[in-house]
Amino acid sequence: MRHAAHFARLVALLVIVVVGFLLVRAKMVPKDFGVKGHFRLSAIADEAAREPRHIGSDACAECHDDIGAAWRAGKHHVPQCENCHGPGLLHTKVVAEDSTRGYPDKILTAFPKAINPGTGIRECRWCHLKTFERPSALKYIVSVQQHVEQHGGTYTSASRCIDCHDPHTAEVKR
Amino acid sequence: MSQLPPDDVTRRAFLETVARTGGQSFLFGSLFVNTALLRLPQAGTDAKARAEAEVGKGVIYGFVVDTTKCIGCGSCVRACRAENGVPDGYNRTWVEQYTFYPDGEVFVNSPNGGEDGFADPAPTRNKPTGTEAPMRGFFVPKLCNHCIDTPCIQVCPVGASFKTDEGVVLVDHERCVGCGYCVQACPFGSRYLNPETGTADKCTWCHHRVVRGLLPACVVSCPAEARIFGNVSDPQSRISRILATNRVQVLKSFLGTRPRTRYIGLDSEVI
Repeated sequence: MRHAAHFARLVALLVIVVVGFLLVRAKMVPKDFGVKGHFRLSAIADEAAREPRHIGSDACAECHDDIGAAWRAGKHHVPQCENCHGPGLLHTKVVAEDSTRGYPDKILTAFPKAINPGTGIRECRWCHLKTFERPSALKYIVSVQQHVEQHGGTYTSASRCIDCHDPHTAEVKR
Repeated sequence: MSQLPPDDVTRRAFLETVARTGGQSFLFGSLFVNTALLRLPQAGTDAKARAEAEVGKGVIYGFVVDTTKCIGCGSCVRACRAENGVPDGYNRTWVEQYTFYPDGEVFVNSPNGGEDGFADPAPTRNKPTGTEAPMRGFFVPKLCNHCIDTPCIQVCPVGASFKTDEGVVLVDHERCVGCGYCVQACPFGSRYLNPETGTADKCTWCHHRVVRGLLPACVVSCPAEARIFGNVSDPQSRISRILATNRVQVLKSFLGTRPRTRYIGLDSEVI
C-alpha cells in the first residue's frame, strides 16, 4: 500500500505515546496506590505515625504524684490534668532532656509554652459559669463577683477562683 | 476543479479501510478504556452491602455525641487544637449553642468555635434583637461524621481522601493538591484547607491515638461524657450498649451520606 510509511509513522508515534504514558504513570503513581482502594495505602501509616500530645493524667501523676493523688481522691477528678494545663508531651520531653525534674519553675522559665500553669480563673469559668443552655447538674456561679460577695468575701478585679479554692480538689482553702 | 486524491482508492476500498482501522482502534482502545469504565459501576454498587461486609471483618469505629450532656465548656475544641495542631481560625471540631425564644426564633452561636467557652454572665439574658428571655437551649458539638457514603472522597481528583477498613475518613497529605473540592463537597463543613500545609485537613477521630489504644483527645477531655467513641462492631463495647439503649439521630440524614457519628437528643432545628 502506498501509505504504509504514514501508517508506520503513526503507529510508531502511538507506541511512543503509550509507552511514555505508562512509564510516567509508573513513576508518578506510588507503588501501594490502589491496593485497598483509590488511595495510597501507606498514608494510613503516615497518619498513625503522629505522636499523641495528650499523655493522660496517669502519666502526669507518675511525677506529680502528690497532686495526682489529691486530684484523684477529690471531687474535681472529672476534668483531666491536660484540660487546664494543656497537652503534656512537650513538658515530658523537656523534663527528660533537661533533667530539671523537680524544678518546675525552671522548666516554665526556660520553656514557657511547655505547660500551662493556669490562670486560676479562666479555666474555671469554662465550665462553672452559668450559661442558659447548660444542663443544670453542675455547680454554677452567675458571676465571680456575685459568688465572692455571697460568701462574704471582697471582690476586686484581681480576684481569682484559686484564691479560695484548691483547683485540684475544688475544696475551699482555709 | 481541484485535484482529487489518486483514483486507485475506490470508494469501497476507502470505506472498508475506515471501518477496519476504526474497528481495530476501538477494540485496541477498549482494552484500556472499557475495563476502566466497567470497573466504576462495580465499585459503586450497593454501598450498604459493602458496609455490611466491612462490619463482619473486624473493628468499625463509631462516635456518639450526647447533646443532652454537653455543657459547652469547649474542652474538646481546645484539646483538638492542641492535639492536632489546628491553626487558629480553623476547627476540626466545634460547639454550637442553640437558643430558643418563645416567639419561635432560634439563635445559633459558636464564637471562635466555642474554644473560649460560652461565657454568659446573665442567665436571664435577652434575645439579641429584643427583650424576650430564652425559653430553652442546648449545645451541639460538631465534628467529622465519617460518612459511609462520603461526598468528600468521591470528588477528590487525586485519591488523597480515603476511608480505612475501620470506617475512618482520612486525608493523604502527600497526595493532596489543595484544590478544595472536598471542602466544598462536605455538607457538614467538617473540612478546611490548612494554610500551613496547603492541604485539606479534617477530624481523623484521632487515628494516631486510636491505633495506640488511646481515645480521641476530645473524648478524653470531655468532662460531661458527652462524647463516646468505640468499636460499634463489638456488641459488648460501651458505644454499642449506648447505641442499643438510646434513640440516636444523624445530621442531615436526607442527604444519604450515612454518617457514623450519631447524636443523642438532636433537635429538628439543628442543622
